[in-house]
Amino acid sequence: MTKIQKIKIILVTCLLSFVAVPAFAAEIFFDAKTREVAIGEQFEVNIFLNTEEEYINAVEGKVIFPENLLELKEIRDGATIVNFWIERPKIKSGPEGEQVPYGASNQIAFSGIIPGGYAGEKGLIFSAIFRVKNEGEGIIEIQEAKTLLNDGKGTEASLSISNLQFLISEEIPPSLVPPTKIIDIDPPESFEPIVAQDPEIFDGKYFLVFLTQDKGSGIDYYEVCEGKRQCVVAESPYLLQNQSLDREIIVKAIDKSGNERIVTLPAQKPAIWYKNYLILAIIILVIAIAYLMWKFLWRKNRR
Amino acid sequence: MKSIIVTVFLILLALLSGSVYASIQEASTSLICGDGICSGSETCSTCPADCGTCPPSGGGGGGEAYIPPAPETKVIFSGRAYPKSTVTLLKDAQIAATTIAGVDANFQMSISGLSAGNYIFALYSEDKDGRRSSLLTFPVSVTAGATTNVSGIFIAPTIDVDKSEVKRGDNIAIFGQSAPQADIVISVSSEEEYFAKTISDRDGIYLHNVDTTILDYGVHYTKSKASIGNLLISSYGQVISFKVGTITVLKEIKPEISKGDLNNDNRVNLVDFSIAAYWYKRPLGEAFKIIEKERLNGDGKIDLVDFSIMAFYWTG
Repeated sequence: MTKIQKIKIILVTCLLSFVAVPAFAAEIFFDAKTREVAIGEQFEVNIFLNTEEEYINAVEGKVIFPENLLELKEIRDGATIVNFWIERPKIKSGPEGEQVPYGASNQIAFSGIIPGGYAGEKGLIFSAIFRVKNEGEGIIEIQEAKTLLNDGKGTEASLSISNLQFLISEEIPPSLVPPTKIIDIDPPESFEPIVAQDPEIFDGKYFLVFLTQDKGSGIDYYEVCEGKRQCVVAESPYLLQNQSLDREIIVKAIDKSGNERIVTLPAQKPAIWYKNYLILAIIILVIAIAYLMWKFLWRKNRR
Repeated sequence: MKSIIVTVFLILLALLSGSVYASIQEASTSLICGDGICSGSETCSTCPADCGTCPPSGGGGGGEAYIPPAPETKVIFSGRAYPKSTVTLLKDAQIAATTIAGVDANFQMSISGLSAGNYIFALYSEDKDGRRSSLLTFPVSVTAGATTNVSGIFIAPTIDVDKSEVKRGDNIAIFGQSAPQADIVISVSSEEEYFAKTISDRDGIYLHNVDTTILDYGVHYTKSKASIGNLLISSYGQVISFKVGTITVLKEIKPEISKGDLNNDNRVNLVDFSIAAYWYKRPLGEAFKIIEKERLNGDGKIDLVDFSIMAFYWTG
């Protein structure tokens, strides 16, 4: 290859790289405290959004990691910029006794919105904690990523991706910066569940919507307790079992550290007092006693 | 015997009235722990979020040190909206507080009882005719025990036009509301962007007539921003469109179909998000297809684009 050909290739490569990464593209990138890890260690990777001065209100994508090298241990979204997850990033686990479908266990799908939009250089989408399994070099990458502008039309913003390369070796000394331990003693944020009804979902039956945040460890799960029914783990929107809405509803938000926020909704349509069987029984009893008393006194007077 | 019967009767009557009272109480008492109101059976021990932390119990004989209450974690927002307008504050996209701005359009509101962490706060206001401003968002990192001030907020002006289509050469009125005596810059997109300046009156109302001779045939977009003394400058507000054509059509005053409002309650909030989430990656029902066409992007499916539209029109 002549010198001129080499220069041509370099020039073409430079031009193409300019085309591939527009000057004002939003960027999804990884940040890790270290990129060289020893076997058996835990490895924290943060996924950030840089909006490049644009307002972005929706983001989605898939984080793909080499499952022969890494095992996903935990996902943290307590400090995320995403207000509402459409698809919350989570560890894939099949129903008990079943295996996760092939190809699903090495990816973390995420999708969510930020009402009003977010503009900033380093907005955390979520963090993933991996355990290092084997020696080797690997890449954690993002695929099928999309960011949408806060313009009322859902226009796709130009986006660049920076993947994360890492090295795992036995020769690397143990890391001095293990994943940050979260000490969370605060319950999730206060919230107000809403009982709603819409002909378009759940066949027009009443459902419950709820959502809160936990700035420490992140929300783990919710529980809904309807009247005297047993509490159940639930996701919003939740189809209410008690469609007559005559009992109070308790919604518990539990964070990953086990702190609870409990919200009680009073009965939306409380039973009318005469429909309460205890009251009805007492009224009948009072009437019966009054009748017997009247009869007893009447007989006594007759004598 | 007679007195025994009367006593039994009275006891039963008391029981009955007690049951009725209890059932009425149960129906009327709101027991939301965390709603900021210390009510009903809530106490400092059962709901410290609403009733505050319990004071230390008095130690007999003294000697117990007084522990001052922990400083409050608080965020204060202040700025300008429109005179006497309602300003709504969203915390992580859910309504946290509302206030009414003064006649000078100034407002101040605060939110307390927060945990330390990163929040996205957003503000919007409604002008005298019910037009909503665009959402103004602020990512704020809240520190435990500290008061964070977010000042100098200037909510973008509202905007509207008097004609949906204007005959080329006729005037079109572009108007809205901002703070009183603010400098308003109106932008009209054409082949070249056209700018006009005006000043809002003491009620914050502004109006500018644009001679459409300078505009090409077709759809044009307009938006406005406000400034006061070059120190306080708002961002551009909502973008609205009008058409320059061969006839003039006045804009109808009927309420517009609210984009993103799937249950038609004039709000875009968690309920609408939940309805959309229900249909996410599912084939749409026939009735919902019509709603999706009217209020979302009309492509016959629910995907990220529809959620983005909802996020733009969000009211909380």
